[in-house]
Amino acid sequence: MFLQIFSFELKLWLKKPATYIYFLVFFALSMFITSAIGGLIGTSEETNITVNSAKAITEIMNALNSDLMGIITIIILITIIAPAVYKDFQYNMHPLLFTNPISKFGYMFGRFSAAFLVALFVVSGTIVGHMFTCSFMGVEAERLGAFRFMNYVQPFLMFVVPNVLLVGAIFFSLVTFSRNMLSAYVGAIILVVLKGISPILLSDLDNQNIAALMDPFGDQALSHVTKYWSAEEQNTLAIPMNGIIMYNRLLWLAIALGISGLTYYRFQFSQFNNPVSFAWLKRKKQEMKSIASAPLLSLSDLPKVNQIYTFKFSLYQIWFLAKFEYLKVTKTIFFLIISLLCILVLTLATEVSALIYGTPTLLVTYQVLQVSNVVFVLFAPLLIVFYSGVVVWREKDSKVDELVGASPISASTSFLSKLLGLVMMQMTLLVIIIITGIFLQLFNDFYNIEIFLYIKEFFGYKLIGLILLCVLSMSIQIFFNQKFTGYAISAIIIIALPIAAGIMGWNHGLYQFNSGGPRLLYSDMNGYGHQLFSFVIYKSYWISFAMILIIFSNLMWIRGKEKGFKIRFRIAKTLFNKRAKLAMTLSVLSFLLFGGFIFYNTNVLNKNLSEKDQEKGQVEYEKKYKRLSKTPQPRIVAANWNVDIYPNERGVNMKGYYFIKNKTNKPIDSLLVNLFPDVNLISMDFAAEYGATLPLDDKETGFRIYKLAKKFQPGDSMKVNISLDFFPKGFKNADAGTSILYNGTFFNSMFLPSFGYAEGAELTDDSDRKKHGLEKKERMADVNDSTAMKNNYITSDSDWIDFECTVSTVKDQIAIAPGYLLKEWEENGRKYYHYKMDCKILNFYSFLSARYEVKRDKWIPNAGSMNKQPVAIEIYYHKGHEYNIDKMINGIKKSLDYYTKNFSPYQHRQVRILEFARPQGTFAQSFPNTIPFSEGIGFIAKVDTTDPESVDYPFYVTAHEVAHQWWAHQVIGGNVQGATVMSETMSQYSALMVMEKEFGKPAMKKFLKYEMNQYLKGRASEGKKERPLMLCENQQYIHYNKGSVIMYALKDYIGEDSLNAALAKYIKKVGYQEPPYTNSIEFLNFIKAATPDSLKYIITDMFETITLYENKTSKCSYTKTADGKYLVKISVDCKKMKADSIGKMKDVAIGDWIDIGVFGSKEVKGKKMETELYLQKRKIDKNSMDFEIIVNEEPEKVGIDPYNKLIDRTPDNNTRKFKDTAPAKDAGDGGAVVTIGA
Amino acid sequence: MNLSIKNLSKTYSNGLKALSDINIEIGSGMFGLLGPNGAGKSSLMRTIATLQEADSGTITLGDIDVLKQKDEVRKVLGYLPQDFGFYPRVSAWDMINHFAILKGINNPKERKEICEALLNQTNLFDARKRNIGDYSGGMRQRFGIAQALLGSPKLIIVDEPTAGLDPMERNRFHNLLSEIGENIIVILSTHIVEDVRNLCSNMAIMNQGTVLLYGKPAQAIEDMKGKIWMKLIDKEQLTENKAAHKVISTKVVEGKIQIHVFSGSQPDSSFSQLTADLEDVYFATITN
Repeated sequence: MFLQIFSFELKLWLKKPATYIYFLVFFALSMFITSAIGGLIGTSEETNITVNSAKAITEIMNALNSDLMGIITIIILITIIAPAVYKDFQYNMHPLLFTNPISKFGYMFGRFSAAFLVALFVVSGTIVGHMFTCSFMGVEAERLGAFRFMNYVQPFLMFVVPNVLLVGAIFFSLVTFSRNMLSAYVGAIILVVLKGISPILLSDLDNQNIAALMDPFGDQALSHVTKYWSAEEQNTLAIPMNGIIMYNRLLWLAIALGISGLTYYRFQFSQFNNPVSFAWLKRKKQEMKSIASAPLLSLSDLPKVNQIYTFKFSLYQIWFLAKFEYLKVTKTIFFLIISLLCILVLTLATEVSALIYGTPTLLVTYQVLQVSNVVFVLFAPLLIVFYSGVVVWREKDSKVDELVGASPISASTSFLSKLLGLVMMQMTLLVIIIITGIFLQLFNDFYNIEIFLYIKEFFGYKLIGLILLCVLSMSIQIFFNQKFTGYAISAIIIIALPIAAGIMGWNHGLYQFNSGGPRLLYSDMNGYGHQLFSFVIYKSYWISFAMILIIFSNLMWIRGKEKGFKIRFRIAKTLFNKRAKLAMTLSVLSFLLFGGFIFYNTNVLNKNLSEKDQEKGQVEYEKKYKRLSKTPQPRIVAANWNVDIYPNERGVNMKGYYFIKNKTNKPIDSLLVNLFPDVNLISMDFAAEYGATLPLDDKETGFRIYKLAKKFQPGDSMKVNISLDFFPKGFKNADAGTSILYNGTFFNSMFLPSFGYAEGAELTDDSDRKKHGLEKKERMADVNDSTAMKNNYITSDSDWIDFECTVSTVKDQIAIAPGYLLKEWEENGRKYYHYKMDCKILNFYSFLSARYEVKRDKWIPNAGSMNKQPVAIEIYYHKGHEYNIDKMINGIKKSLDYYTKNFSPYQHRQVRILEFARPQGTFAQSFPNTIPFSEGIGFIAKVDTTDPESVDYPFYVTAHEVAHQWWAHQVIGGNVQGATVMSETMSQYSALMVMEKEFGKPAMKKFLKYEMNQYLKGRASEGKKERPLMLCENQQYIHYNKGSVIMYALKDYIGEDSLNAALAKYIKKVGYQEPPYTNSIEFLNFIKAATPDSLKYIITDMFETITLYENKTSKCSYTKTADGKYLVKISVDCKKMKADSIGKMKDVAIGDWIDIGVFGSKEVKGKKMETELYLQKRKIDKNSMDFEIIVNEEPEKVGIDPYNKLIDRTPDNNTRKFKDTAPAKDAGDGGAVVTIGA
Repeated sequence: MNLSIKNLSKTYSNGLKALSDINIEIGSGMFGLLGPNGAGKSSLMRTIATLQEADSGTITLGDIDVLKQKDEVRKVLGYLPQDFGFYPRVSAWDMINHFAILKGINNPKERKEICEALLNQTNLFDARKRNIGDYSGGMRQRFGIAQALLGSPKLIIVDEPTAGLDPMERNRFHNLLSEIGENIIVILSTHIVEDVRNLCSNMAIMNQGTVLLYGKPAQAIEDMKGKIWMKLIDKEQLTENKAAHKVISTKVVEGKIQIHVFSGSQPDSSFSQLTADLEDVYFATITN
């Protein structure tokens, strides 16, 4: 019986064209994704990852399950599997079937297995598509690993089969019991949303295992397990069939089988007569008895009524019908579930978003707005597409279409009421979000609730986008006149198209539906700023488009039986009356007008450069001018500027001069000048006696060559007068231009004219270089490259300069630049500030202007300090952002304490922190005695001062930036590999020390855990080469994250004092040096000198090579000794590995000193705190070793390298609690046993 | 006001000729449209009800051009299609109020009165709070008529309203229909001859998209007088009889087959004359 039904069903499917179409859909999707990843289409990034490794293939297969793409997959699966049994009911076959003697097992499983098999076939299109792309589409050889069939088989069996079974079982069961396909689609949306939540959970380092287990499709588990895999491992390893992946797969396979079993068990043939209703709140159905006819009245006795068809009443009709639609949509269990999910997602996302080192921010309103974007990305498009189909087809689906169609309401009344109903539903969700947001704020003890900001953001800006989306998907439904075609087309246009456009680099808002132009980002300082204008223009453009759609849809609205396009157009023609024509004309005009205006702004006033265009520009620059890179050029030795900032016009006017000097030993006859793209250079006048002419002025690349009639002799100086301005012309398509804002301006000297061929402007990505016929290029010059060391890594046309400037701004703002304020005055309604530096600085300075509040303080040097004079502290902040100012001030003081005691004197008399608006980014940057600090980082951090482990990052960031006054502004590396070690890594180290002093060791733990995680994740996605720390090529995951971990360990090994002494010596030698600049070899020599011979190996391991450990406590036990002490036995496993630049590992012999620790606990203020009972560095010279240690208190936990000082990809197994292990047993494996009394 | 249909033709995109050259003039009162399934009745009615286009021809209702001034037609139209449903989980009261608003009855008091009156009229008032989805077939049809009567329709179209109803309900429904005022045009389509005989003063018989007979039922019966003959035969004789005579209908009576034959004179002595009724007219017309 089973076989008959199975094969019959299978044959049925194999005859259907749909089967093959679905297969092709998956084939095409897979081809597209693979091509995108393989760099065949779109813009690619350099990477070491191949496209056909087991991991890559699994990810491509899983990509089809995730996010919005997942909707497509799930819907196709639903279409195939869900109705396997339901269709008998749908076509009223069930009475015929069920009266036949068929077995339940044969029937259900026959149907289900056939559908399941077909679904597997369809999904296997991904595999074929992938193979096809790899074999025939010309993926570059270096992106292809060896073909291994297992790479396809394994993901298919481990992921595709269980996932299809799970989705199939869920929806098969849902549809079979509810007898309603709708429930399946609703379920699909819920599934996709739930799936969207798990990565949010995963972002918190503490929830990773739960999140990995929870993900029904297993890709969270996969990414959890493989997140630290190096490129080499990603390319060669199979998917591990153990651990969390195995548990996840088994769990969900069991759930899938469970659901199938339960469905089978509960299914009864009579079931079809009594569907399980999901509207369980509904009253029980009652078959109504006919009511006998009452005495007949004459119809002439019916009351007379007036029927009116005024415009006013049609407005009422729209409102009435909209309300009807709205209630139909919202008074459902589904909407309730969506609302609850919405609340849940928002709550979860708020908990884990914007965490920096695990520390949250205060829940200011804009933060809630930002978090709520998850909801808009996840829910809104799905709901709108889904419900557009529901409302458009409501009459048809319940067969009232003819009744309504013959009634005297216009198509526009129908359309607009449905649209309004949908919009009201969206508004309800917005209200739910707002209420949830406010509750979250209150719950997080934040009471400054900006209700108007909520309303402005949601009911002003977000709602427009939602309405446009509603119009589009309703119009699609109406035009295509078939619900599921409509869904498919909407999904393609709304979901798939933007993804494809993103990959292909099609970026213009003129054809990206619903575009709002440059990103509209709220900032406390700047509000919505100037982007609001372009936003309104872009939205007006799309609103005009929506108007056209609305009119068109009204004309195409079907109210009868005619379906053919020919007849519909004929009807539309008759409906296209004067009013419709007028409206259409106006809409088209307004569409063209706004479109033209946008085009004028983005493509005429400005250039709309795609990524490819920019690449071409870089290539052209390199090809044309690289030959000039050896031409001797002057150095800037002084800069003096008059800077007029116009915040309201968002422009700046700069007049001033450079002094340049010929520091080479050759006379200079031509000056190469680079101009920043949008800067308007008014004049650049070299001292008259040199008779400069301008033979080359390349407007495309902004490159100029000035010829000097009189040679500029070695050792000579000359004044160069410069006048330039920078005012935005209209708006650009994507780049919001955030340097100069209404409030919160911050820009730096990088946009000023510079000298010499700029190597930094070259294209770096090797695959792009190859496409353009350029040689491969290393990211940075070799560490020993003596030519490159003639420049520091920040500027290539200057060393140390004198700096002075006068900055002016509008009356209610304060303008700031590095230097000491000499004079402040008002003139012509503007405020002027004259700043002058009293020592030489790098040619790197900033200008800021905003409506500031100022908090002042003073640092008084204490006894050990190398400074004798107090230092002024000033915090320039936005009113309302007072929360963490004291922490910053404290950070400055403690930093100055530590650095002036341990490194060298502070070269300035002031430290200033200046808040800038967050559209420019969330970072802080250190200029001489001036630290611009984004409002998004630190100012609104919410530090839990009661938790000893929480990271006070306002303090940390401040300490890091203050440290740059030494590490960058005193010591600056040459422009070679490893340069950032002496700036970023050392600033991290300095900040770590200040933090450890301030907050104690426990606070380090969490911080370092995050640093380790970032490093390991960073190296996994390295696109070029991972370098050892000392050769780091400006790789952030190395110089920041690995740097922190390594320096903290180094300090632990050689001691804080001797390390600092070495650093102080180093600063003394290289501080403020003229070229050639120092490099990391010189730096490391100072550290080596401070390292005892027995530990010299750590310098090699930590700085010169990439070294990883695999440390593990494999066994532990303890017994109480006769004298009341505790004998602890520990077995540890140790593995030491060296990795090459793509992560190929090699085991090396171990002979290291590694911490062995025993921990107990004690109560402190009712809280259980861990205590160190024993911690010693022990020599580890075998891969497995045993230790016996006697401690005085009862131990709870032991471990090797318990503080994770060494780089280890599984840090959690370093320690072990006794309760995790079996009762004590003698370790009899003959490892070295050493007993030491504590 | 008259509804006049001239030269109306319609061919579906699959080539099926739904209406071909229809010419009828319909005045006030009940007009019966009789014909077998697929005769084109529904197509015709939907075309009049503005829900379908015609390829050629005209329909005028008074001075309204039905094919062009659809909105004008809809304002005076009450329509009960053959196959219809209602929104799920909506009570009869909400539903009738909903239709009242669609029909432009803007005064809330008037709206309430007319809705109440109509539900009373159709005997659904007591059941007004129930969901329509739970209504029995007869109640649904009555509700259908109630909504068609909203406002003051000048033209009411009811498409096969009694299909599937039990005899009691059918009677009730007929009573309702017969109550509909005389000053308006009511078009009733059906394939049940009895309905037309009971209710209609005028009628047309359609088949395969054409009007075969058009006039008053009584007149049609009159015209048929003396031309219908009957005979009881055995099963085996059916074929030969069909070949020999113009058999318009057959039915089984007590194991034998009774055939009706259309003939100007007595075919042979075994036939006895029948008093023609409308059913004979119908069968004679469509078998012609």
